[in-house]
Amino acid sequence: MLDNFNHLVLPNINLLLRGLSVTAYVCFFAFLLAIALGSVACLVRLYVPFIRVVAIGYIEFCRATPIFVQLLWVNYVWPELFGFPKTVVGAGIIALALQSSGYLAETFRSGIEGLSKGQRDAGLAVGMTNLQIMRRIVMPQVVLVMAPSIVNQMTVVIKSSTLVSVIAIPDLMYEALKLVNTWFEPIEILTSTALMYIVAIFLISILAKRVSDHFRSKFGLAGLV
Amino acid sequence: MKRMAAIVRVVELRKSFGPLEVLRGITFDVREGSVLTIIGASGSGKSTLLRCLNYLEQPTSGEVYLDGKPIGFRIEADGRRAPDTAANISRMRAELGMVFQQFNLWPHMTVLENVIEAPIRVKRLARKEAVDLGRRFLSKVNLLDKENEYPARLSGGQQQRVAIARALAMQPKVMLFDEATSALDPELTGEVLEVMRALAKEGTTMLVVTHEMGFAREVSDRAIFLHNGQIEEDGPPARVFSAPTSERCRQFLSKVLH
Amino acid sequence: MLGSLRESLDLTLFWEYRAILLRGLLENVYIFLGGAMLAMILAFAIGVARLSRRWTVRVLSTGYAELFRNTPEYVLLIWVYYVLPVIFSRLLATRFNFSPYAAAILALGASYSGFMSETVRAGILSVPREHTEAAMSLGMSKWMIMRRIIAPQAIRRMLPEALNQFVSLFKATTFVSLIAVEDLMYKVSMITVHEMRPLPLYTGAALVYCAIIVAAAQLIQHLSDRWRRRGWA
Repeated sequence: MLDNFNHLVLPNINLLLRGLSVTAYVCFFAFLLAIALGSVACLVRLYVPFIRVVAIGYIEFCRATPIFVQLLWVNYVWPELFGFPKTVVGAGIIALALQSSGYLAETFRSGIEGLSKGQRDAGLAVGMTNLQIMRRIVMPQVVLVMAPSIVNQMTVVIKSSTLVSVIAIPDLMYEALKLVNTWFEPIEILTSTALMYIVAIFLISILAKRVSDHFRSKFGLAGLV
Repeated sequence: MKRMAAIVRVVELRKSFGPLEVLRGITFDVREGSVLTIIGASGSGKSTLLRCLNYLEQPTSGEVYLDGKPIGFRIEADGRRAPDTAANISRMRAELGMVFQQFNLWPHMTVLENVIEAPIRVKRLARKEAVDLGRRFLSKVNLLDKENEYPARLSGGQQQRVAIARALAMQPKVMLFDEATSALDPELTGEVLEVMRALAKEGTTMLVVTHEMGFAREVSDRAIFLHNGQIEEDGPPARVFSAPTSERCRQFLSKVLH
Repeated sequence: MLGSLRESLDLTLFWEYRAILLRGLLENVYIFLGGAMLAMILAFAIGVARLSRRWTVRVLSTGYAELFRNTPEYVLLIWVYYVLPVIFSRLLATRFNFSPYAAAILALGASYSGFMSETVRAGILSVPREHTEAAMSLGMSKWMIMRRIIAPQAIRRMLPEALNQFVSLFKATTFVSLIAVEDLMYKVSMITVHEMRPLPLYTGAALVYCAIIVAAAQLIQHLSDRWRRRGWA
């Protein structure tokens, strides 16, 4: 087994690492896009009455549709429907972002609604405007309180990203499956691949826990959730 | 020497929440430099009254004037009343300092940052100037040594003193205290009352909603007893606390004093 | 664009193949039921083990939960389908194979048992210690306390969260088509190859899943609200 590891995985480690870097790239941009879309959806849902329904529909659709279905839908239907995305990588990023933006929008919303009314009142009482209160008082606290959920969503994006191999994005999973199909030796390659994912995701969750414990003790935020 | 001008003037103030009328026509004046205490059972409308003064609650009808200027509405050229702009309401609020029952310090900012936030953002002071100002008020509430702590590290009494400094740092014309000691453990109320006493002595205009009858009696120039959203008793504390004319006020006092 | 919008919302093709597609959806349901059953059994065992007094049991069960929580479901699915049979074959020195169905149920069950063991653990921990002490003072045995005092309260508290995880599990059944389980998505790709009209087919699939899951989520919301009102959850 170790022997196989030596002549199957090690010679191809560059290939796997290249796949891992594509995974990182796709996840990074998907997550950025998800945060942007999620913030907009959340703010519209909370503060723009006449198109609130649209935001709710968007959020529910994103959360309720399985990521695999969204991926194929965006990849096969969007280019004809909207004229984009032009590449499979674009489709992968958009699909992953759609899914997460729904969850993030709800995370942000519960963060905003969970904030005690007194926090805003204190801002109003010293003469701050609603915009200043949003920017200086609400937003920072939502980010701090919700940091664990936000990071957790990052691990969900990484897990879901394993599926983008299906639309031929050369990510880690894609490279691994290609190697398996070349050598017909699944054990070492797939196990190493699984371990790479597990370690990456585990490290991120540990980091999230550390950060949230730190915030909790520093800012006493536990009471706000 | 206390001036006689009314700095706060409240005329026929009413406030309803749905079908529930919480304030039913409140009228009073507060002279500059005086301390007015508002007492009453819970649910009598004391907190709502304070919150209507700085427009955290929008009054259903009636008027509030600060230093002669209306809060929340303006008089148009043709004499009609129109709702004021959000910017003007914010400006008026900044002239009324408010201290809340639950402190409401911003947990993600240090003590000093809490105090200088509004002077920088609202008054547009330079940071250095705001820091000097903030430190001055922090030393006034005896917390200069805590300026870099986060609120979570402070006791309730200390948090409330920071909240007082935060309100004072805007150098408001009037200070509103909404049951400032009610959320505190009994052994911590003293330090907050001490600060409030010192402010009263300096001639700060204060409207104080409180359950601390001893404090109210000692510090205030005038006391109001609210019942069911109306002023039931109004006069110098010596009379309101010792010889109230209203039966309900007498009952209330005998309940809280014993 | 309007033309393609009309085409993608034209679900007649979807309707035409309804019998085949429905059969595919049934496969999703079977795998969901199998996976959910397995996940529940494993989750209870692991959740209880994580609260064991023996540290070896605690470490092993926590390790299990962390391992499966942090493994992407698709990677686990592929691993169970391709790697596990090879390992078994070598160990047993015979040819061994999983059917795609068995692999799907095993992988999804194991994956979600990791998440759900956390829910079980939290549910048990949410029962105040005083309840156990009160039962002990009445002379109840450990097993009896677990069965009569802790479990009924813990299960009520777990239910809303567990139901949410069942929804996620159902969503995860969509990619079992990748190991050739003939589920809804598998049928959709087959029909797409045949008809060359991906727009209405994939849009239809998205809408069907969305509708099922929104309905399930609404039901869960409704039930948990009701339980909460009764002071249950």
